Amino acid sequence: MDAIRFVLNGQEVSYEGSASDRLLDVLRNTYRTTSVKCGCKEGECGACSVLMDGVLVNSCCVAMGAVEHSSIVTMEGFRDTERYAVLDRAFAEISAVQCGFCIPGMVLAAEALLVKTPHPSDEEIREGLSGNLCRCTGYNAIVHAVSSAAKEGEGLW
Amino acid sequence: MVNGYTAATLEEALNIRAEHEVVPYAGGTDLMVENRPGVTYLFLNKISELKRISVDEKYVRIGSGATFTQALEDNRVPQLMKDAVALIAAPAIRNAGTFGGNLGNGSAKADSVLIEFVADAKLRLVSLRGERIVDVDRFYLGRKKLDLRDDELIAEILLPKTGLEQYDYQKVGGRNALAISRVSFAGVFSTQDGKITNIATAFGAVADTVLRFKDLEDTLLGKTPEEAKALKAQYLKSYADRMVLTRGRVSAEYRKTVCMNLLSEFLTRFGI
Repeated sequence: MDAIRFVLNGQEVSYEGSASDRLLDVLRNTYRTTSVKCGCKEGECGACSVLMDGVLVNSCCVAMGAVEHSSIVTMEGFRDTERYAVLDRAFAEISAVQCGFCIPGMVLAAEALLVKTPHPSDEEIREGLSGNLCRCTGYNAIVHAVSSAAKEGEGLW
Repeated sequence: MVNGYTAATLEEALNIRAEHEVVPYAGGTDLMVENRPGVTYLFLNKISELKRISVDEKYVRIGSGATFTQALEDNRVPQLMKDAVALIAAPAIRNAGTFGGNLGNGSAKADSVLIEFVADAKLRLVSLRGERIVDVDRFYLGRKKLDLRDDELIAEILLPKTGLEQYDYQKVGGRNALAISRVSFAGVFSTQDGKITNIATAFGAVADTVLRFKDLEDTLLGKTPEEAKALKAQYLKSYADRMVLTRGRVSAEYRKTVCMNLLSEFLTRFGI
């Protein structure tokens, strides 16, 4: 039986476990990319969001077999980018982070939104983040942070 | 691959499906919530021929592996379908969830399936033995029971290109995003020379399968909206008598009241 080959944060890896294992569990337990959080395992909270071939998905709802030949980006990979730096600054300046548990998912959802819609309205931001739950902030600060990042990072997305 | 099969082409997938006991895996968004222990998936997510959306003379043909996001970004997909799909969960789920998966999961809450019911859509099912085209309402045999044989895969949804312009779609859920339908309703309506040529209404999430009563719809065909209006009270009563709803996250009584309100509003909207 061949291992499942995929690219994780730019590095080729091969996974020898079961094809039905959850990407979420494998990212956390095998590859120790623990920015990916487990909130619900039902696709309801967005804490486990990753980019799969550039597209936002909930890693709890992806089986490893589906990942073969795909590229997965988690916060561990995204944080080396200029776009992350802009989002990081905006989230910090606006105090859009409290406990932080939802933030890796929020930031990747923001990245996915801004790639598609570089100048989003507040409504589009809310739609883009609608799959990511936050128990602390009440969302307004996060929406402001994404809006601010879109302006500060003009041309990056 | 340990404990799973992956296929690059439909033909490869059909061979595996015929030879092994596998669960077809498209987007994974329903399957992975349950993630049955010991299950062997057949991964279909990399098969490009299942992801295609195309148009022929009669139909918009949506590949079973097409995602909801893909449909939302495609100007050939009827607006009625887009309205329903836009309210499914949230972007990350719509990026992965597929039309084939929504059907294959067998739930009466599947939001794209409700539209397929009201649109008289057909499904193209394929196996090594050939293909067959079935009406979507005949595909659903009961709760989680589908007319899909062990060696078959859902290939395409055939959605009629015309006749879906005048419609109403309503989803009643507990919140805006990530809401599972508590009651969903879709209706389409057409007239020609002032007479009703098509009226179709379907209710999702309220029984074992999507509910649609074609014989009741037929009683309004050929009538003007004014003539139909005179029959409205009786029409609504016939629906109320026929609708035996199940209890789910909300009571059967609540569901029935909402269904009847939605049906009545739909009729009013089109002058009935």
